[in-house]
Amino acid sequence: MQNAKDTFYTTLQQRLAALNPSRTLVLRGVVRPATLVDENELPTASIPTDAFRLQWTNLQVTNASPLPWIAMECAIHYATDGSAGNGGMDRGRALAAMDAELAAALAAEPHAVPKIDYTAAPPAVMATNIFWSDPVFAATTATNERLARTATVQVFAYQEAGER
Amino acid sequence: MSDLNQARAADVLLRAMGGRSVMLRMPAPATPADPTEQLGLATPAFQDLPLAPVVYRKARATVTEGKAAKWELLVSATAVESLVGSLAYASASVLFAQAYGVLSDDELFEVISATAEEAFGQPYVYRLILRAPQAQTT
Repeated sequence: MQNAKDTFYTTLQQRLAALNPSRTLVLRGVVRPATLVDENELPTASIPTDAFRLQWTNLQVTNASPLPWIAMECAIHYATDGSAGNGGMDRGRALAAMDAELAAALAAEPHAVPKIDYTAAPPAVMATNIFWSDPVFAATTATNERLARTATVQVFAYQEAGER
Repeated sequence: MSDLNQARAADVLLRAMGGRSVMLRMPAPATPADPTEQLGLATPAFQDLPLAPVVYRKARATVTEGKAAKWELLVSATAVESLVGSLAYASASVLFAQAYGVLSDDELFEVISATAEEAFGQPYVYRLILRAPQAQTT
């Protein structure tokens, strides 16, 4: 299932970066697209704003078919304070822009991509695909000047033989 | 008293209060365009840098049930400025923001916040709030 998680992350990151190349963040001295997986980064108390943070939450494994069927829930958190130059008065528009980017990236065709094994060098395309549901957007939460939202997506994949 | 003297006086006070040494653990810069670190396949190298003199402001941690203990560490501004200069960081806040944690007595504490105490516009001591490892949560 790790390959499915990796493939979903790289696919989403590439699509979001293509939609808005200027949405970047600096992490450990390097500028990169502003999409990250929380569990793959150093633990930190600070939450990056204007970035998409993926957290893998629920997991369901069904063994009824020859290949085990995996359904995972991905919670995508994002938040914005607006821009300081505008006194944060554009934070609603900034959040709406992030909503639109995420919805467009997840709705873009194809809705299924080949699963990739990133532990191989070079990364190897596997035999099955991953695919995902439409996102469900939770209500906006406002904490002082910060607006935040979480969207959840179900990601599906087959667990191939020998895969962990 | 000049700003330099303020920092020196703070150093003397930190040493007089039993000033000790801790290590600031810094991760190496990320590798550009390398997805393996973003996927958790590769981990960065770490560098431990000495910070001295430092003093824990209280002998006991601030403990709240169900939450990790918090400590307050006072750090010499001269030691911090020396690290900022030698590592070419823009400021102390960037240094602490990039740090993975503070290693004290073989225990790694996360840096939750870092603030500077200033006199005449120059910091003379830094105040770090540290979080103990989750494993120590009561």
